[in-house]
Amino acid sequence: MLDISAVLEKIKASPYKELTITSPHTGVLTLPEGLAPGTQLHGPMGTWKEKPGSLLATLDRERNEKNIHCPEKGEVVWLNTELQGSFVEAGVELVRYRHFLSKEEVLEQILKQALHLYLAPERAKYYFVPAVDIKIKVSGPKAVSVRDGEEIFIMSRMKREAPLRYSGPEGVIYAVYFNHNQNVDTGQALIGVCPPDLITQVEDVVTRVQMEWKERE
Amino acid sequence: MSITNHKVLVANRGEIAVRIVEACIQLGLEFVCIHTAEDAASGHVRLAREKGGKKSLYRVSSYHDANELLAVADDAEATAVHPGYGFFAEDYRFARRVSQRDRKLIFIGPSWRVIRELGDKINTKRLARSLGVPTVPGSDKPIYDELEAEKIARSLYEFQRQQGIESPMVLVKASAGGGGMGIEEVHDIDLFRSVYRRIRNYAARQFKDEGVLIEQRIRDFNHLEVQILAERGCANIVHFGTRNCSIQSTGLQKRVEVAPGFDPSAVSYSFDAQKVLDDITAHSLAMAREVKYDNVGTWEWIVARDGTPYLMEVNTRIQVENGVSAAISRIKGQAGVNIIKEQIRCGLGEPIGYNQEDITFEGVGIEYRIIAEAPENRFSPWVGRITKFDWKQEDWLTMHTHVPTDQPYDIPTEFDPNLALGIVWGNDLAEVRLRGLNFLDNLTLEGANQAGEGMKSNIAFLHNKTPHILLF
Repeated sequence: MLDISAVLEKIKASPYKELTITSPHTGVLTLPEGLAPGTQLHGPMGTWKEKPGSLLATLDRERNEKNIHCPEKGEVVWLNTELQGSFVEAGVELVRYRHFLSKEEVLEQILKQALHLYLAPERAKYYFVPAVDIKIKVSGPKAVSVRDGEEIFIMSRMKREAPLRYSGPEGVIYAVYFNHNQNVDTGQALIGVCPPDLITQVEDVVTRVQMEWKERE
Repeated sequence: MSITNHKVLVANRGEIAVRIVEACIQLGLEFVCIHTAEDAASGHVRLAREKGGKKSLYRVSSYHDANELLAVADDAEATAVHPGYGFFAEDYRFARRVSQRDRKLIFIGPSWRVIRELGDKINTKRLARSLGVPTVPGSDKPIYDELEAEKIARSLYEFQRQQGIESPMVLVKASAGGGGMGIEEVHDIDLFRSVYRRIRNYAARQFKDEGVLIEQRIRDFNHLEVQILAERGCANIVHFGTRNCSIQSTGLQKRVEVAPGFDPSAVSYSFDAQKVLDDITAHSLAMAREVKYDNVGTWEWIVARDGTPYLMEVNTRIQVENGVSAAISRIKGQAGVNIIKEQIRCGLGEPIGYNQEDITFEGVGIEYRIIAEAPENRFSPWVGRITKFDWKQEDWLTMHTHVPTDQPYDIPTEFDPNLALGIVWGNDLAEVRLRGLNFLDNLTLEGANQAGEGMKSNIAFLHNKTPHILLF
């Protein structure tokens, strides 16, 4: 049985995560004026998150400017001013910032301990089989129940595809942890499944986090 | 402009990138390599660090991103792009963009118009038929409609029955696929729809194009190729003989290539093998002249049991197996032919500098594709860490690999698990078979995956196939 209070206290003791923004591709780097350690950052805003977060950098490649925005709120810890104005390769560290965990993130952390996680058996790209994929797209993952031995994934490595069966307790898919066309490392969670006997506990987790976690502005 | 003033962007990875760099070094050309995060330990990266000049190595987000390649080309001041095989090698839009942008670069491959005309399997078939060249029966365009696909499949079954074929079969192929990926055979029309849907969904996921080709599956065939080289302007076109690529995986991917395509001096065929080789070479050259071909290319043929050749497709790029043709070729009597080097020279505008009469052939060559896979399990790829990779050096053996031999190497999961190409040469078929077996016997390949299971490779498969090469 998960001790939600203990887990919450542990997260409260260390409520930040530090993230690094790297260059998604090559290009000439411009860091915006005024950005410096200590600068407060905001994430996407608006009803549909249509307004991007704070501008962190711009990459100019083949006459196309790509703005790199902060994906969530936080505070700049470090930025790579040495590369200002130069051509950077992909994967270069540009900005580091620290971020106070949001309710959703705390909930995700706790649910990862409460749900039954089905882990990636190999480093590969994963897809749901077409029937499951359609259901999830139309009604969301919680509309899909899975049971032990059911073929619900396609595992794709080196352009070869193989069906993959879920193993674990029967339940609804409560969380999906992989993205389309992205590699998942061995042992990373693919889905979180909530068995019927855990539903009450999971609902309790959601309520507790909603009530007890105070987000910082 | 002398070709030595050029700097070549090697827009590829692994073994072919290594070979392109080696060819550039032989020609005295500067080069620049690219790599992704997953490929940091690849041999082409190390080669670029050790042998490259200023601005000779860049990390990029993807080999598939044209903006990325061209941005690197500009920053490194490259003047030409070698696409290798795969990725952008047969993408006419990329070739056109490279040669028409403000800062123009030379695309080391056929001109974009030629790629557009021949790179499309459908156009190639139409052109071949217009020249009287036989082609594999099947759909003339990518099929996107299930009912139309089924109609074509039914007609192909009917056609084969009329030909007296007892177990007719059709191939369902992803139109945008290649290298044997996205191909399945169907022996029963009742199963056709499910296979069609599977290939269509696979093609959409892997190639972003749902188009599917339906073709007659010719059983009991040999897969032959003709290697062509043409200079810019098409004033001179030569060939470097034929290859036999019939030893394939269950997914129709090549595993062993042999040059020449048949050896009537050592093997008895039920048809005039020399005439077949002469015919497919003549047909390939005729098509190349018709389209004004202007770089390297490979004409792929299926030869049926009765010796009838059918054109399958034209690969408008350098092939993996170019080295086995080079191994048996002599230019003005000299060995050491490097078709990639010839491709770069001609691509940069030099004339070929010799004629067909100057090219002779000597002996027999075998190319082994050494791959981390389990042939006993439908050639499923093996992923893990290679801890030992070694072979016995011989003067009749050439190895091409990007896998380091002095440190462990983790096979990236993003690409095919091809590890190396071993090219063996012999004076005749008997000798090359013996040398091939000798090479494989002395090859060490060890490793383990995350579960601690030992490495799987196709070495035993290659060994078992060696006595059967060039037999029909």
